Amino acid sequence: MSREQQKIIKKILFYFVLAVIVVYLLFPFYWAVNSSLKSQAQLAMTPATLLPRDPDTGNISFFTRNYFAIFKNGQFLRGLFNSTIVATSTTILSLLVGSFAAFALGKLRFRGKAPSLYVILAMTMFPQVTVLSGLYAVINALNLSARFSMIFTYMLFTLPFTTWVLTSFFKDLPKEIMQSAQVDGATPFQTFYLILLPLTAPALVTTGLLAFIQAWNEYLFALTFTSIDVSARTVPVAIQYFSGEFARQEPFGEIMAAAVVVTIPIVILVLIFQKRIVAGLTAGAVKG
Amino acid sequence: MKKYLALFLSLVFILSFATAGLAQDKAEITLAAGNVGKELQFAKEAAQTYMDEHPDVKVNVLTTPDLSNDRLGLYLQFLEAESPKVDVYQVDVIWPGDLAHHFLDLNKYGAKEVADQHFQEIVQNNTVDGKLVALPWFTDAGLLYYRKDLLEKYDREVPKTWQELTDTAKYIMEKEREAGNPDFYGYVWQGDAYEGLTCDALEWVFSNGGGAIVNNDKKVSINNEKAIAAIQMAADWIGDISPTGVTGMAEEDARKMFEAGNALFMRNWPYAYSTGNSETSQIKGKFDVAPLPAGDSGHSAATLGGWNLAVSKYSEHPQVAADFALFLAGPRMQKKRALMTSSNPTIKSLYDDQDILDAYPFMGNLYDVFTNTVARPSTPTAPKYNQVSEVFYQAVHSVLTGESDAETAVQYMELDLQDLLGYESGDPRQP
Amino acid sequence: MAKQKMSKLAKSEEKLALKLLIPTFIILLVIALYPLGQVFYTSFTNRTFAGTGTTEFVGLANYQRLLKMTIKELPPVIDEQTGQQKIDEETGQPVFEHPIRVLPRRPNLYRPVYNFKLAGHKYVIGAITPDFIRAVINTIIFTVFSVLLETILGLGVALVVNSEFKGRGVMRAVMLVPWAVITVVSAKMWEWMFQPTRAGLFNMLLNKAGLGSGNFSFLTNPTLQMPAIIAVDVWKTTPFMALLLLAGLQLIPNELYEAAEVDGASKIRQFLTITLPLLKPSVAVALIFRTLDSLRVFDVFQVMLAQKRYSMASFNYFQLISAREMGMASAIGVIIFILIFIFAIIYMKSLGVDTE
Repeated sequence: MSREQQKIIKKILFYFVLAVIVVYLLFPFYWAVNSSLKSQAQLAMTPATLLPRDPDTGNISFFTRNYFAIFKNGQFLRGLFNSTIVATSTTILSLLVGSFAAFALGKLRFRGKAPSLYVILAMTMFPQVTVLSGLYAVINALNLSARFSMIFTYMLFTLPFTTWVLTSFFKDLPKEIMQSAQVDGATPFQTFYLILLPLTAPALVTTGLLAFIQAWNEYLFALTFTSIDVSARTVPVAIQYFSGEFARQEPFGEIMAAAVVVTIPIVILVLIFQKRIVAGLTAGAVKG
Repeated sequence: MKKYLALFLSLVFILSFATAGLAQDKAEITLAAGNVGKELQFAKEAAQTYMDEHPDVKVNVLTTPDLSNDRLGLYLQFLEAESPKVDVYQVDVIWPGDLAHHFLDLNKYGAKEVADQHFQEIVQNNTVDGKLVALPWFTDAGLLYYRKDLLEKYDREVPKTWQELTDTAKYIMEKEREAGNPDFYGYVWQGDAYEGLTCDALEWVFSNGGGAIVNNDKKVSINNEKAIAAIQMAADWIGDISPTGVTGMAEEDARKMFEAGNALFMRNWPYAYSTGNSETSQIKGKFDVAPLPAGDSGHSAATLGGWNLAVSKYSEHPQVAADFALFLAGPRMQKKRALMTSSNPTIKSLYDDQDILDAYPFMGNLYDVFTNTVARPSTPTAPKYNQVSEVFYQAVHSVLTGESDAETAVQYMELDLQDLLGYESGDPRQP
Repeated sequence: MAKQKMSKLAKSEEKLALKLLIPTFIILLVIALYPLGQVFYTSFTNRTFAGTGTTEFVGLANYQRLLKMTIKELPPVIDEQTGQQKIDEETGQPVFEHPIRVLPRRPNLYRPVYNFKLAGHKYVIGAITPDFIRAVINTIIFTVFSVLLETILGLGVALVVNSEFKGRGVMRAVMLVPWAVITVVSAKMWEWMFQPTRAGLFNMLLNKAGLGSGNFSFLTNPTLQMPAIIAVDVWKTTPFMALLLLAGLQLIPNELYEAAEVDGASKIRQFLTITLPLLKPSVAVALIFRTLDSLRVFDVFQVMLAQKRYSMASFNYFQLISAREMGMASAIGVIIFILIFIFAIIYMKSLGVDTE
């Protein structure tokens, strides 16, 4: 086998693996899209169809009413708006505060580093439902509005996450960078935000995206904290409030349509930021 | 760094004032109600009517999740915080016992005079230690749905006993499968391990003369032959007239299968009547409802469901809130609600109301079902009903899935319930 | 002179570090101190959620109720006529006493968790709260399998996406889709795909492939429940792993690979000697957060299995919302907390990630 042939085979194999990964990751989502375009009768058809089909004739027939219904639903649109505000604020705050802490924990020498790391992690080790009533009491005592309650309480899980991930990244940055910067007369803090922070851009974007999605998807806290303030309800809560015409009836098609619609902004967000995930560090930059 | 700290602290400070309310000169009350399409619309219209008639009152309607557990979770948070933010709660028929001490005794606010108008089983259910803690608002009960067209096609009667149901279901299921529908089943119901199974299994057991798990006089009555036979009967349906997957089915799963034309009989609540006749249903006009079949007791039994109105003890305007609850549960609003949402009134005389019968002819037939209901033992087991129900449905579920035999499961159930409640055993209550 | 300067520098570094940590600690203290403290405290009481009765300090009673177990031997049932052990006519197996007659009933009722045979004797393990013991086992099985599979798959996806090819940008977005679908909704979506009739995707596919008549009940059959729910979680969270590992891969300088190439090291060797060791810190952090989430798993269990099979967190939810046993629920929270702590320390130590 010539080198050329080997190369081609390798390429085919690679794209095969890639195709398998894409199908694995996307097929269940495709099923959600498929279900969102079915009426209730089409959903209950046996056997299930890979494309929406008419139950009587078997012809392909798309049912778009689910999408009209969710866009007519004011709660859903307001939910999108609320989720955007809450998730964005939580993410920015966590990245900001978390990167300070991570710099200290990853690059500075001080006593009590390990305990600090574990204490921060410990904040997020309880199941959400256990801390819920305590948090509700804190929020009532501070008299926080629903949106701010969510922004703050979500930091219970996003802040330890950003801190820990960023710490491991700071730690991996070579010591020489700090030393050479200090030789040049920079204060440690300047070294941090002028040199180190830009170098960790991939980590910032990665943790930011993951934290954003966590906050975007949170349900239990949001359900409780927005129970009185209807206008602050986020998307997962708004979807849970979808209802049929009658009690007990679950509008499954609409829920699937909402799931599809809600995923799109995140995909766009990732497309915008994806270059930054890998654009950060090269060996050249490290040597400065 | 101090700058950031100051910034943060001032942020917290500002926020703490952001939501402080302004003084109100009107009495403002909030009703926590359902979120479902027409029901919500009704609640808002009813609130408006009340405000028109009482200009000094402002009524807010707060939507709560349709999912029973989510709703209970929220209510518990409010009640734990002794929150005055909600005045009138829409509560499930199994909650009054457990939550009684958070609610006012409505008998002291004029409910005593009107209690007779409602179905007695509900009033009794909502009465805890002589206090009426919730007003009946609308009711629900288990019904047998059947395919008219198929019974006619194969010349069979609507089953009156469980045995008839089993035979008919088996016969027609075989015929339909031979005719080319391999997905067709005889009977679908709620067999998942959850509150719905408690409702279904209570119907089998009670109609068979096996009692209602725990008697009203606080005796555990489940360990008896009739109860064991009833549970065994249901276990025998599985893989025969019911799909094996029925042990994972809730109301919506059964309804979807029935509406797709893949089941002959279904046990469900009255809501499926309206959805079954909607445009997207495959069986529109081809089905009807009847009381559930009877067992050895000779009586049919339908588990009591439905929702009630309770007034919070932490309300700042208890008098107004109680008056509003009485208004909502009164004949005028119940009639309006029945007409708007096809929900079933709890006031007996409304089942003779011509307007309602014209709009929903099937409602007249339901009167008999509602007079033969069996309440889940939520009041005699309060505040532990949810645990009692869990013991019950888990045990029944283990029999349905074949993990345990009915006799052992029921023995354990008795021990568990005695341990949980501290009650003695007694003879089952009869219909 | 030099030494003094160093210590001065060290001091200023320490000061800066403290300043930088203050915002994090203030935020966490404001949000978390009271709720976490309350959980610890409540776990030693018999408090009811939204209840009226007085709350009493009960010491370790909640923990005992959750964790106490006992082993009893089941005596053989003797046939009175023959004086020999009874033999079941149907199965041909010797008959032993029923656990219900052997396990203690007072002061607490023990229920059987597991029966086993050893050297001709039969034993039963009993627990006061067998549901919780099973929940712990379920959760640990769930955690071990899903975290292991996610790590392997996540690493695979990260390596593929890290190589040069057309459409890499789109691929990075595709990669995140499962993680982006709202958890509660994704559980509902999978539940629908697992329907026990041919209206469900899997039954339809299996039936087309000639397997079964379209009535596999994935979510009620005890042997299928765990694989089904692990599959859902692996699908949902592989992206999380993949993205964290992808970012970790970016930190490995290309020069190392170039040097290895010059030395003639194979790709596999490069992977084992360069990629894996340098990726360790990223793997450790990713593992910790995935394990932490898996041990607290709630949504998928609650939506797909509900009361059929509990995870620790869904049992916790049941105890709090349905049973309103706040003391018990808090004790469960503390147990989960301790388990997570143990896992975190094991990871840090075994992966050789130093915290100093």
